[in-house]
Amino acid sequence: MHLSKPHVDAGALVTNLVNPTAGIFDNDEISLNFAVDPGASLVLTTPSSSRVYRSRKGDTALVRQTMTVGTGGFLEFYPEPFIPHAGARYRQHNVIKVAPGGELLFFEWLSPGRVARGEAFEFEELCWDTDVWSGDVLIARERYRLRPDDASLKSLRLPFDLAHYLGCFVILPEGVPFPQAEVEALGGDVSSVYLGAAPLAGNVNAWTVKAICRDSLVTRKLLKDLRTVIYQARGKAQPTLGRY
Amino acid sequence: MLPEWLPWLLQVNDSQFPSGAYAHSMGLEELTQRDYIRKPEDLEKFLHEQIIPSLKAFELPFLARTHAAAATDDLKTVRALDDELEAWKLAAELRQASRQLGSRRLVMARKLENSALLEQYVQSDAPCHHLIICALELRALPTAAAGCAFGLQTLSGYATASMKLIRMGQERCQLIVRHAMATLAPHIEPAMAVEDDSRIGWFNPLLEISSMRHARAQERLFIS
Repeated sequence: MHLSKPHVDAGALVTNLVNPTAGIFDNDEISLNFAVDPGASLVLTTPSSSRVYRSRKGDTALVRQTMTVGTGGFLEFYPEPFIPHAGARYRQHNVIKVAPGGELLFFEWLSPGRVARGEAFEFEELCWDTDVWSGDVLIARERYRLRPDDASLKSLRLPFDLAHYLGCFVILPEGVPFPQAEVEALGGDVSSVYLGAAPLAGNVNAWTVKAICRDSLVTRKLLKDLRTVIYQARGKAQPTLGRY
Repeated sequence: MLPEWLPWLLQVNDSQFPSGAYAHSMGLEELTQRDYIRKPEDLEKFLHEQIIPSLKAFELPFLARTHAAAATDDLKTVRALDDELEAWKLAAELRQASRQLGSRRLVMARKLENSALLEQYVQSDAPCHHLIICALELRALPTAAAGCAFGLQTLSGYATASMKLIRMGQERCQLIVRHAMATLAPHIEPAMAVEDDSRIGWFNPLLEISSMRHARAQERLFIS
């Protein structure tokens, strides 16, 4: 992995994570560890989509991401879409640990595949594991295995056959209200996006936002608007990601 | 010979058992309002494509782990699983509904069964999720029987709620539950036989989002 063009903008270190190869192949095993020290601010983003290619030998690519945020620290993780190609086998394991008083803005965007060439939900298997900790309390756990040949994609594809999935975890400082009404207003047009937001478990100002979107354009707009609304709630300027 | 646990099972799994389940749709109300479920065929498809797979991949294996701990009076593990389940339930309304159902079930079970174990669990200030309390309540049953009871509660809960939401009568409701249970039944023992360190879980963003939206709805019939 290559850390590209780190620079400070709006009080945060903005860093692009670049995979120097064309994408992720079977048998690839990538471990990423990010630590935000107390009081520091980091925005991690990717300049282009993450592609996982067809598994040629039947093996599974594995990406482990561990993120820790110290007291008073802030981490934003804003990736471009994840695009699984036909026949891809992939497993991602996210562990996010935020100390009391730390802040988090974590996005993930799962696309159906290379839709423009008529390839949607043709991957072989995607496994997604995410744990979010606030101090020593587990506040969110997700585990899912997606396969086109079983029922695991049925709920995602019910509103829109070529649905994109957008997930978000937010931890704000105590006393900073989560902008629930503003976030929900972004899902006002149910013909293109089906969105909900809710507080997570634990006695912490932590929230999740989930959305099923009609297509990539809707998802991209929602992601940008969601980011704007949350930064406004934080009372902070948005660091520029430098690619729009 | 009649198994000792059978009368207990029939009583606590009866639809009249006062767990408060009748007041919850578990996200179904919003799905009907959005027209994702409009008719009995849609409900049947929902149960077979979304709820039964979730039972097989997540709830039944989780129940098996809890049941094993409860059967050996290992309340420390039961409590840890209760706390873990709290984190699994991302939609706050579903989380709260599960806690309400479990707590009411525990209150009633305590009155019916003079049990030091249940008494101790009440004092522990645990979340008391429905699945956890079912495992405690049914700890004397064989694991598969407990799974079967929990599966029926889940499926009939959705089917019963749907009678207030779509045009469907009692007979059709029972046929749908029967068909769903017949589909689920052969998978109960395999689902509950998974190893402790097996990867379990299920993906249902639609139901999670529908619950999140239901919690904020201007008008609603059900608590969840």
